[in-house]
Amino acid sequence: MFIFEYFAPLLKQVILLGTGALTTLRIFFLTLLFSLPLGLLIALARMAPQKWLSAPVKLFILIMRGTPLILQLIFFYFAPSAILPEGLRFTLPRFSAAVLAFSLNYAAYFAEIYRGGIESIPQGQYEAAAVLGFTKSQTFFRIILPQVIKRILPPVSNEVITLVKDSALITVLGISELFRVARNEANRLFSTSPLFIAGLFYLFMNWIVTKLFDAAEKKLSYYR
Amino acid sequence: MEILKVENLYKSFVGAEDVVTGVSFQINEGEVVALIGPSGSGKSTLLRCLTLLEKIDHGSIFVAGEPMVTTSPSGRVTYAPDAELRKIRLRLGMVFQNFNLFPHFSVLRNITEAPIRVAQMAPAEAETIARQLLAKIGLTDKADAYPYQLSGGQCQRVAIARALAMKPDILFFDEPTSALDPELTGEVLKVIRNLAAEQMTMMVVTHEMAFAREVADRVLFMDKGQIVEEGSPETLFGTPANERTRTFLGNYNLNSGS
Repeated sequence: MFIFEYFAPLLKQVILLGTGALTTLRIFFLTLLFSLPLGLLIALARMAPQKWLSAPVKLFILIMRGTPLILQLIFFYFAPSAILPEGLRFTLPRFSAAVLAFSLNYAAYFAEIYRGGIESIPQGQYEAAAVLGFTKSQTFFRIILPQVIKRILPPVSNEVITLVKDSALITVLGISELFRVARNEANRLFSTSPLFIAGLFYLFMNWIVTKLFDAAEKKLSYYR
Repeated sequence: MEILKVENLYKSFVGAEDVVTGVSFQINEGEVVALIGPSGSGKSTLLRCLTLLEKIDHGSIFVAGEPMVTTSPSGRVTYAPDAELRKIRLRLGMVFQNFNLFPHFSVLRNITEAPIRVAQMAPAEAETIARQLLAKIGLTDKADAYPYQLSGGQCQRVAIARALAMKPDILFFDEPTSALDPELTGEVLKVIRNLAAEQMTMMVVTHEMAFAREVADRVLFMDKGQIVEEGSPETLFGTPANERTRTFLGNYNLNSGS
């Protein structure tokens, strides 16, 4: 009986936080879905010899990496309705604004990771591919990119782990994700325990992320 | 039959040595031509122009009679249209100083990838050819190895097989043994020697003078961007006519002791 009385409220809390964690996971996966490919496009544009293309992309990366993500969240939610001319004003749903801000922010970081990886591949790989008659896209997707992916796994895993924790920032838009749910519970119960349980949730998610990246690195360790 | 004809080729870089200033020569089918000369004389640049890794500033290149690039009397350089260029490129093979094998592919796949993806060969056929080539270079047991597991000499032999798998009309070698430890050069030179015996058309940039003398049908000596002297190995190594050739070969004998 005692055990039940002790654990029932705890279980209730865990379930409640779990629903918040679902929202956190949604933003996590959507952000990765958009930012990983977008980052590659941004990296390629950043490396383009045409200045009209690389210069604005450089500025974009500077802004996205140089301002607080929490500010970017607020910007994408409030700015369209505040700074656009009358008639063009609109407001994105909170969640969409959050996904947009996260995707652009993480794409900027991923872009620089991709760029570092791409530039680390020796010129000789391109030349060998060219002499064998591979097209530019075959060269990139079959020869270069697989080698890039192996090299960038460690920095990408860093970013992905950070993303799990950064997702707490969307609480600023009033979205009921894990951190907000935990804080509300903490306020309601006058107890910090929901916050610590939330911490365990984040830790668990990142334990899985770490395991997945370890597995990926192992899978690609068949060559050097 | 003439496989390669080069007329009055020029190539220079902004602020860099290793320029080519007016080079003409031709290579016939089955011929092995050694290209020798001091470093910075333009040998590698010439090879890179011939294999389309660099665009030339002036001159003409014909591959098996087909124009790869020509220059009009007014100095306008015109490359063949892309579709033509792709076909011409397949006639040219290249072996690099640093092998440039694809590290993420097995030895077998390094050899089969281009025949399958570029030449649209059936995978089974490509594999058969690759295994024949591996037997030829003495690496049958390394088909499933990855490049990092091979010695430099083995890597270079695989690189040769990779180039041969595309059945080029002419194979270029850019200092194929310069990145190798001395004890590993022999196995690579042996493969090239065997190819020469099979009448493979080849142009070899090399610092291995004894090898050039033994294998080449003709030797070109290049200095300061120009072909200074050209002749049979006996003539060029035995009784070089040009002062610069003599100086170069003299230094060489002194330094290498060969």
